[in-house]
Amino acid sequence: MSKPILEGRGLSKDYWMGPSRLRVLHGVSLSVAQGEFLCVLGPSGSGKSTLLHLLGLLDRPTEGGVVFEGEDAFAKPKRWRDRMRNEAIGFVFQFYYLMPDLSVLENTLLPAMICTPALAWPVARRRHRRRALQVLGDLGLAERVHHLPQELSGGERQRAALARALVHKPRLLFADEPTGNLDTATGAEIMRVLARLNKRDGLTVVMVTHDERVAEQADRLLRLRDGRLLHGA
Amino acid sequence: MPNEWLAWPWLIPAIAAGGLAALALLAAVLRTPIYKHIICLKYLFCGWKAVVPMVTALPAAIGVFLLILVFAIMNGFAYDTREMTRGTLADIIVDAHMEGLPYYDEFARRIENVEGVQAATPIIQTYAVIRVKPRYTGIRPIVRPCVVLGIRPAEKAKMGRFQEYLGRERLVKRIQDQTDAVLEALRASPGPASTREVQTYLILDILEDIDKAREAGLCSFEECAPAVQPAVKCLELLRKGASPPGDAIREAARGLHSLRDSLKQRRVAPEEVLTVQAGRRGDRRQGAKEPSGCIGGIGVIGTPMPHAVSEIVQAGAGWRVLLTFVAALALVVFLFVWQAGRRHRGRRLWRLATWAWAGAVLALALEATFIPVVPSRTERQEVIDFPLVDYGGDLVVSTIPVRASGALDVEAGGIPKVSSRVLTLVDTFKSGYWEADSTNVYVDFATAQQMAGMDAQPSSDGRAAAPARASQIQVKVKDPARAAETVRGIEEAWQTFVRERPEVGPLHLTVNTWETQQRMILTVVEVEKYITALMLGAMFVGFGVLIGLISYVMAYIKSRDVGILKALGAHDAGVGSLFLGYGFIIGAIGTALGLSSALLMLHYLDAIELWVNSTLHINVFPREMYYFDHIPQHLSAEWCVVVALGVLALSTLASMAGGLLAALKQPVEALRYE
Ligand SMILES: Nc1ncnc2c1ncn2[C@@H]1O[C@H](COP(=O)(O)OP(=O)(O)OP(=O)(O)O)[C@@H](O)[C@H]1O
Ligand SMILES: [Mg+2]
Repeated sequence: MSKPILEGRGLSKDYWMGPSRLRVLHGVSLSVAQGEFLCVLGPSGSGKSTLLHLLGLLDRPTEGGVVFEGEDAFAKPKRWRDRMRNEAIGFVFQFYYLMPDLSVLENTLLPAMICTPALAWPVARRRHRRRALQVLGDLGLAERVHHLPQELSGGERQRAALARALVHKPRLLFADEPTGNLDTATGAEIMRVLARLNKRDGLTVVMVTHDERVAEQADRLLRLRDGRLLHGA
Repeated sequence: MPNEWLAWPWLIPAIAAGGLAALALLAAVLRTPIYKHIICLKYLFCGWKAVVPMVTALPAAIGVFLLILVFAIMNGFAYDTREMTRGTLADIIVDAHMEGLPYYDEFARRIENVEGVQAATPIIQTYAVIRVKPRYTGIRPIVRPCVVLGIRPAEKAKMGRFQEYLGRERLVKRIQDQTDAVLEALRASPGPASTREVQTYLILDILEDIDKAREAGLCSFEECAPAVQPAVKCLELLRKGASPPGDAIREAARGLHSLRDSLKQRRVAPEEVLTVQAGRRGDRRQGAKEPSGCIGGIGVIGTPMPHAVSEIVQAGAGWRVLLTFVAALALVVFLFVWQAGRRHRGRRLWRLATWAWAGAVLALALEATFIPVVPSRTERQEVIDFPLVDYGGDLVVSTIPVRASGALDVEAGGIPKVSSRVLTLVDTFKSGYWEADSTNVYVDFATAQQMAGMDAQPSSDGRAAAPARASQIQVKVKDPARAAETVRGIEEAWQTFVRERPEVGPLHLTVNTWETQQRMILTVVEVEKYITALMLGAMFVGFGVLIGLISYVMAYIKSRDVGILKALGAHDAGVGSLFLGYGFIIGAIGTALGLSSALLMLHYLDAIELWVNSTLHINVFPREMYYFDHIPQHLSAEWCVVVALGVLALSTLASMAGGLLAALKQPVEALRYE
């Protein structure tokens, strides 16, 4: 195996419910190799999303750390993590999370808009737009670019979210139950896209799901139960 | 007013600082990521949400509008009152009251040596009763209390605007101002009946003024008649309903111009304003040594009378402003609806409606530009002080002389001796400052001195000789802003003077600036200003709370968006500042709306007032109450800047509520639940 792009080391996460502590993750350690398609399988409430948020540098673990491309992410300043999320990491959420006021195209342009100063935008815009249209076209949304998210079907929304996660050519893609809200056929289609990205473009994918059938697509499978990884499964 | 702004010493630094600040802001705005701009604008103007900022900006706009307008008008009252009082009195008044100040000339010279003083002149002030026999039969003689002011006209002319306030001076100025207006109106292309009416009125008006000038002895009949002849010919043509031909107008112009030029030279020299001129009715007292003329305040020798005043209104200007405003409003509504309805854009009906609306806006705008602005005449009732005595008429002024000892001159039997004099009215005085206009009668210094009993007295039957006295010394300073320092200088000069000339005696002298002299009325205006500011300030507190609330609610509703942006790599501060920008733009819209409408309103204030008066018949500004011939206004640039910056700062600060909420929100929190 090639060297890991991402490592979670003894990740624990606590939530405080008033005075009582709720430990959702218990020292989860895992390592993701470059170009790998990893799937974390677990029932609802097992802490999959929580784990993904930690690995994706969205949330800070109570204990343990994340090593991303050889750097200890939580020892670095917050700005660094912001930048990594902006340019190295793509995120597909469980519930699409598209911005309702922006069209599909504008949503797809968001990562670029976040890192481009207003002054540079008029020049940079055409390049970003061309790239966004290309990604949307690849995902079969060419006809839908000017629609608002609310005018799209669930599958289309998830593809739009995928386009936004891919537009800046991330080195690592996180997908949180990308098929969770879709019917079997649409879900399978999304999975085909992910598999293709992984195989053809060599994109590293970390996906969590509770669906055994979906998980079959992955190179490697980890099982999460009650915040612990089950070994040898 | 603009000149005053230009003269402001801090103008260049202020502009530089403002420019730098604006550049810095622009640089900061251009450097921040574009997503803030795009999303902020979407939040502001996208869909029906856009109602929120519009509605919120409204109170800010109203507040700014009122603050600017009310302050400009109140400042105008204070400013004009100050200017009038200062113009009538002087910068500094050294008052010896009725006791009188001996050796005044010597002391006046000493005052002139004080640092910052430009000139000083002694004044006699005493109280009198005046009796006027009106020029109209059937009206009984009027008797009024008045203040007799003895002046040295040439010196007094240097003190303030005394000269400008004289009737003859104002008449000449009006004829000069009016001449070009008349000729321009005549040269205007032959227009509708209303234009001819205006032309008629303007000619009549100037003819009336020329007649008055003739009565006041500024020009002779022989001189006037040929000069106005061509204008009268034009008038006759106009009355017949014809437009005067070019030749006639050119001839009228030549005549009026020559008259104007000769009037310019005929202006009364400052030292002669009190002199009764030969060839006038007063010349029966010719040969009298001292000038026996007097200048009566218009309120002393006149009586308030309703009077129909013709006023030229720029008809159509009001409609123009109104239509432009409506067109702008329609445009905003249009953009708003267009934005909101973007999903219907493909539909035919929508397209039709859009075009129709755009056409309507365009039509309104065109209509507004092409509405002809024609001067037309309206009439309105005004109360003016109608002079009851003519130039050259007689006034009988009676005073009671007070001697240096403080005693009154007494006749046998213990009755106070009254000094009565017949004076010839040579001019009227109107400053607009009612206190002065309704009481002052100006006479020659020496005459007034005798009337007040302040002239030098030889020693007689056991009484010591008394030197001549003056009641006041008026002082003109070089820099009015530093008058207070000069007051101290004068007080010191007085101490030295008393030490060196003990014969002056123990005398209580008050040295005041004109401002302290008039503090009553000015304080009232100031207090009113602050109360208004306080009330409007309370309104702004409400506005601040509103903006805070709205930005908070916005950040709350949009917490999902906040989470998404942060997940995609936006910084906490960046997402927070998006909501600051939201509040700032609302504040900016309000400020821009309020400021521009206030400035427009102030610019057209007189026109709007006239328009309201003539179309709605509401007398907004009764002239007799305020004694100003227009609504006073004095706009200070600093105030506009302070108000604008204040509102912008307030709205930005208040939207910290939403900004902080967004900045502190954890992305996972925001993204957790569907
Ligand atoms: N902010 C929070 N406060 C308290 N408890 C939380 C919080 N966030 C998550 N949890 C708890 O942590 C546990 C794991 O949540 P998580 O969302 O990671 O589950 P999941 O495996 O993604 O489930 P699902 O498949 O339904 O999405 C759940 O029991 C949840 O109640
Ligand atoms: Mg989950």
